[in-house]
Amino acid sequence: MLSDVLTPDLFAAAVRMATPLALAAIGGTICERSGVVNIALEGMMLTGAFFGVVATYFTGSAWIGVLAAMLSGALVALIHAVASVTLRTDQVVSGTAINILATGLTGFLMEVIYGHPGTTDPVARLGPVFNFSNPLTGTLGVVWRWIDSIFLSYTPIVYMAIAIAIIGQWWMYNTTWGLRLRALGEHPRAADTVGVSVVRGRYFAVLFSGALGGLAGANLTLEQVGSFTENMTNGRGFIALAANIFGRWTPGGSYLASLLFGFADALQIKLQPMRDVIHIPPQFFLMLPYVLTVIVLGGVVGRAVAPAAIGKPYEKG
Amino acid sequence: MPERQPVETVVMPSKVGGIVEQIALPFISVVLAMIVGAGIILIAGFEPVPAFVALFNGAFGTPRAIGETMLRSTPLLFTGLAVAYGFKAGLFNIGAEGQLFMGGLAAAYLGVVMGGFSVWINVPVILVAGMAAGAAWAFIPAVLKARVGAHEVITTMMFTFIARYLVSFLVSGPLKAPGPVAQSAQIAASAVLPKLHDMLGLPPSRAHAGFFVGLVLCVVVWLVLKYTTLGYENRAVGYNPVASETAGISVSATTIKALCISGALASLAGVTEVLGLHYKLFDQFSAGFGFTGIAVALLAKNHPIGVIPAAILFGALSAGAGTMQLQADVPQKVIFIIQALIIFFVAAESIAQWLFRLTRKEVAADAQ
Repeated sequence: MLSDVLTPDLFAAAVRMATPLALAAIGGTICERSGVVNIALEGMMLTGAFFGVVATYFTGSAWIGVLAAMLSGALVALIHAVASVTLRTDQVVSGTAINILATGLTGFLMEVIYGHPGTTDPVARLGPVFNFSNPLTGTLGVVWRWIDSIFLSYTPIVYMAIAIAIIGQWWMYNTTWGLRLRALGEHPRAADTVGVSVVRGRYFAVLFSGALGGLAGANLTLEQVGSFTENMTNGRGFIALAANIFGRWTPGGSYLASLLFGFADALQIKLQPMRDVIHIPPQFFLMLPYVLTVIVLGGVVGRAVAPAAIGKPYEKG
Repeated sequence: MPERQPVETVVMPSKVGGIVEQIALPFISVVLAMIVGAGIILIAGFEPVPAFVALFNGAFGTPRAIGETMLRSTPLLFTGLAVAYGFKAGLFNIGAEGQLFMGGLAAAYLGVVMGGFSVWINVPVILVAGMAAGAAWAFIPAVLKARVGAHEVITTMMFTFIARYLVSFLVSGPLKAPGPVAQSAQIAASAVLPKLHDMLGLPPSRAHAGFFVGLVLCVVVWLVLKYTTLGYENRAVGYNPVASETAGISVSATTIKALCISGALASLAGVTEVLGLHYKLFDQFSAGFGFTGIAVALLAKNHPIGVIPAAILFGALSAGAGTMQLQADVPQKVIFIIQALIIFFVAAESIAQWLFRLTRKEVAADAQ
């Protein structure tokens, strides 16, 4: 029975499910490292998911959809940046407003554009990057099947997320800009003194997190589902924030933590058909990622140390 | 063990700005949000003026419409109060929606099994039991916040999803009434909150006694915050946790109490929706009242009495939205956009403040 569950598909599904979480979590990492709390990832993801589908619907190109998703995510993030950096609004409150705005705006525009609530018309999805046929048989064939599923079966944004995690990790710890970003969140006054613009740095970080949130949304609609349904992000933005904390505010850590949540989700889906055997209602499977998030935040992580200046608006002294 | 009393006083500032400014700023914010909302309606290709006329008529145009506004305001009184109480202690209870679900669950269960008693026993018992359920649902996030610092925004949000799936399971399984629809059995007539038109001899509407429970509770919470040790500690911890700890207030105990009380208040929204309106439970029984409660609390500046006009405003928006869609074709989701805009303008106080000072200057200039 275990071999029915632990298949190459399961691990491939875990990576796929982790992708939107990881992109949003890395966005959260960059944003929060600059000292700005971002609970608006949920709204940025939802906005990106919607405009990705709309742009693909009108242009016929899923790649233009991906660009539109990132752009719309960044535009929503601009509101967050203006509110929290320039107007020094409470960042958690601004994030909440953006989440409500995203729900309202996508629902409203869905009725304006498609003439009905619920789900949009389907659009063409981005397919897998590689498409190899299995050249081998026997044991080698099985090995090939594992390698093909786990490494070579994905759509473009899945690979982009892995690249962003690796490059982001290197960037944050090995470049001047990475150091400056970390300084913004730990000691903005010191950064300011040595000539780093706190305002510009935080605007960049918030906009970048919006673009990544939008890309996460594009992964959901343009690679996984192929259409947009109202409120389809279903709390993923908040789970991504937890992954960012579990990953100790690092891009690589965020990715690995997202893999854990992605695995829980993949396992949940894989186990669902077996509910007749083990008699557990489907709702309990669906709860799993949320329960896991609480356990991870409350128990496993211990006291994670957030950037020192997080959530505090900066006033030039 | 005797109740721990603070040994020193934590000095908290009195209100900044005059009472006029305190009331004017939220008002300006609402007007600004309406103007931007009108702009969005216009860009989307609709006419804003008929839309707002229809919205107003749907909320206040007839006695039935006014009743509908009171009905929609009722859960928002409770969730707005819940979020405001949490904010006063520096906690953001974004998960009021989940606690509301647990209140609704308690009400739907007890409303059926307690059928044999009189309404004077049933309703108070169910209100209290619902509050216990809501407090219990907030307890784990509260303890995690107090002990390991797990952010309540994430944990209470997760508990909201868990509550929804739990209710979805119960109404399609153990609590399911016979029939094709996934919903619980109808509660007993002796557990129903009376309709306002029956109590007061008004023209018929769907408004129920839960509205008055909400109004009374706003006053009670205001008095508790203002005059009791519990309320004082709540405000002190919200204002300055370090000074509070030094003054002998246990920050972690206050945090746990605050989030549980917030959960108890939020749960009443679910209880009254079940006892006053739906008489049963199903998984879509809340129209996001927990989340709208955040907007209510912010607009009220977390003042329990301010929650009353703020809840009525959002109740009116919700009551009028259907009429607006029917008469002016504008999708009713536009009210969520307006709601978000109100939060922005209230939170980004500097915009409204600037406008307020501007009008003051003009008045002064005219007087010269």
